Amino acid sequence: MHQVADIEVAKNIMDANKRLADKNLKHLEEKDIFCVDFVGAIGSGKTTLIEEIIDNTDYNIGVLAGDVISKFDAERIESHNVPVAGLNTGKECHLDAHLVHHGLHDLPLDDLDMVIIENVGNLICPVDFELGSHMRIVVVSVTEGDDTVEKHPIIFQTSDVIVINKIDLADAVGADIDKMVADAKKLNPNVHVITSNLKDGKGLDEIIQVIQDKKDSL
Amino acid sequence: MHELSMAQGILNAVIDTAESNNATEVTEVTIELGRLAMINPEQLKFILGVLVENTIVQDAEIIFEEIPVEVECSQCEFHGNAILDDKDHYAPMVKCPECDSLAVEILNGRDIVVKNIVIEKPDDN
Ligand SMILES: Nc1nc2c(ncn2[C@@H]2O[C@H](COP(=O)(O)OP(=O)(O)OP(=O)(O)O)[C@@H](O)[C@H]2O)c(=O)[nH]1
Ligand SMILES: [Mg+2]
Ligand SMILES: [Zn+2]
Ligand SMILES: [Zn+2]
Ligand SMILES: [Zn+2]
Ligand SMILES: [Zn+2]
Repeated sequence: MHQVADIEVAKNIMDANKRLADKNLKHLEEKDIFCVDFVGAIGSGKTTLIEEIIDNTDYNIGVLAGDVISKFDAERIESHNVPVAGLNTGKECHLDAHLVHHGLHDLPLDDLDMVIIENVGNLICPVDFELGSHMRIVVVSVTEGDDTVEKHPIIFQTSDVIVINKIDLADAVGADIDKMVADAKKLNPNVHVITSNLKDGKGLDEIIQVIQDKKDSL
Repeated sequence: MHELSMAQGILNAVIDTAESNNATEVTEVTIELGRLAMINPEQLKFILGVLVENTIVQDAEIIFEEIPVEVECSQCEFHGNAILDDKDHYAPMVKCPECDSLAVEILNGRDIVVKNIVIEKPDDN
């Protein structure tokens, strides 16, 4: 004979990632390192922005470059003479705290005061995975369409800074920058919304300033 | 979009619990799905259906319950369940039910929880 039993499992599948994210943050704080992670659509300008931050600040930066299978971004960043660990997600569409943990151990943390993480280009999946950073910046560009912000509300609601990039191309693609800024402010009134053209450096100082302010506030 | 790794996590939790309770078969699995988790329940169900083959979970009924989205409004200080406007989003817009503001802090509704399982096991004697 068999008996039937109803058994409580109460297992949160998201907890494993959250615990590792907390551990990453602890690792970083033990070494007094500030960590910012960049998310955004494919090709929105994340790597370009990271390169500009490296070239225009005096931080000792290390970078974790997420990519589905390639190493192009890691190589680009390496040419700016900073330590880089490439994180390949393989089949997955996002970085998770476990990959980031491995990456942190591949960086010379004792020599760093800032770690920058570039997530895989995706406005959807990274929402589910905290990485252990102090600050999340989402980068979109006008060329993805001026409805990008309203189409992906949650990533904008859960990020600390919103960068709307490639404003030099707005006219060419018929994108309304003011609409994108308004959509972003509507979703997250307390957030910094910064418009940028990384080809000529517009907006870069403001982005560096909000990172500095956040770093100082900790 | 990461239904496969989530499904694997769910199945591991189910099998761990079933085995530590000497189950011969799992007949029911109840999963709570946050409305804001970036997971499509239909895709998750499909992948779970594939992964359970040849395990003690293979004939289980999979039941999904929705975790409501709990928010705190930064405009009017409302605290409670949000209104979800998903007329043109799979990932819905989260709104305060009191003042319609989108400026809300999301407190709950992003998790995936294996809640309970129903198992069959041999009689104790
Ligand atoms: N016109 C213009 N082009 C830009 C701007 N910012 C970046 N680009 C270009 O856009 C292209 C993509 O930039 P990346 O920095 O590689 O974008 P990404 O977000 O890192 O891309 P993935 O990692 O592949 O998702 C490159 O050719 C950049 O030179 C900008 O403000 N204006
Ligand atoms: Mg890149
Ligand atoms: Zn590992
Ligand atoms: Zn470690
Ligand atoms: Zn995903
Ligand atoms: Zn309100």
